[in-house]
Amino acid sequence: MRPELETRATQAGKGWQDHDGFVGPIRPGTGPRSDPRGDFPSGPAVGEQIPNVRCRNVDGTSFSLQEHRGDRPAVFVFFRSAVW
Amino acid sequence: MKDFDAAGIAVYALSYDEADALRDFGEAHGITYTLLSDPDSNVIRSFGILNTLIDPSDHPWFGIPYPGTYVVNPAGTITHKFFDNNLAVRAGSEQLLRAALGQPMLETKAIETATDAVRVSVALDGNALAPTVQKDLVVSFSVPRGRHVYAEPAPQGSVAVDVVLDENKRLVQRPLVRPTSAPHTLAGTGESFRVHHGVFELRLPLTINGAVGGGGTPEIAVSGEVRWQSCDSEVCDIPTGQRFEVELPLAESPPVALRSKKGAVLEPNAMEHFLRMSERRRGAD
Repeated sequence: MRPELETRATQAGKGWQDHDGFVGPIRPGTGPRSDPRGDFPSGPAVGEQIPNVRCRNVDGTSFSLQEHRGDRPAVFVFFRSAVW
Repeated sequence: MKDFDAAGIAVYALSYDEADALRDFGEAHGITYTLLSDPDSNVIRSFGILNTLIDPSDHPWFGIPYPGTYVVNPAGTITHKFFDNNLAVRAGSEQLLRAALGQPMLETKAIETATDAVRVSVALDGNALAPTVQKDLVVSFSVPRGRHVYAEPAPQGSVAVDVVLDENKRLVQRPLVRPTSAPHTLAGTGESFRVHHGVFELRLPLTINGAVGGGGTPEIAVSGEVRWQSCDSEVCDIPTGQRFEVELPLAESPPVALRSKKGAVLEPNAMEHFLRMSERRRGAD
């Protein structure tokens, strides 16, 4: 599914304001501010299993979500960047 | 975070940053939850949430996900999801804790009103409103035994429970979250519709879109009206509207709050990390 790009924007001083009123230096609809309009893919549905994923821990070691969770509830946050 | 630890809930945060960039960030801010690095966006793709509105040649932005959160039970099944069309908005910790535990965490003093024998109170589930962080404005109903209030969709000419805020350009609200309704059938006509009874809550997800008040006003007034129509088994009262106004404390947005702590930088070596991730991605084209 390829959603529509949200491009509603108004200039606000030296920045750009989106339709919710958030102001930032980047124009809505460009770069990291490419918000979807309407429906967009949000991954597995409630009731489904999360994928059995493998990635890296901060020390560089391989990390598997299934192996580490150990029968506790978990919160899995996807964020854009800690650098920018 | 201590609330999550105390409740035995594991917290993971994943981004497409390199492991060393995440390590710098984690150390700078004393982060105790697990930071995970997905620099090729493989995990992001496996979940199906790669932001494909960004052109693959648009570096370093291409590779980021639609940001959001999954709450997962011990068996690995997703029980709640939080995703917003506005990529700046994120679920607040109270929303996540409540989803994981099923319990509200009402900390602000509630305003109570009593009319029509139905009692309504309004309070924020959280300490304060900070830009981009979503908190629920909780409207708690207590309906006396033998009465009910209409739920959506109300029969023609009747009013379902609703919460309508006065216009406030600083507020960013999302659709009201309503509890499951129960069926109610009129003995006489056999007509059936949806109702709520007893004690229940409506939750209105809220955040603010920027710092409020030039002079650093410490609070924001959130006002509006709670609407309902209550009935006993035979007769309905006329629809009622009860106004409310709550003064909610304001807090800084997370990046500002992190920077405020003893003048900490948001990301140590940010420029170096940013240049390296941009180069790596351009080089891979």
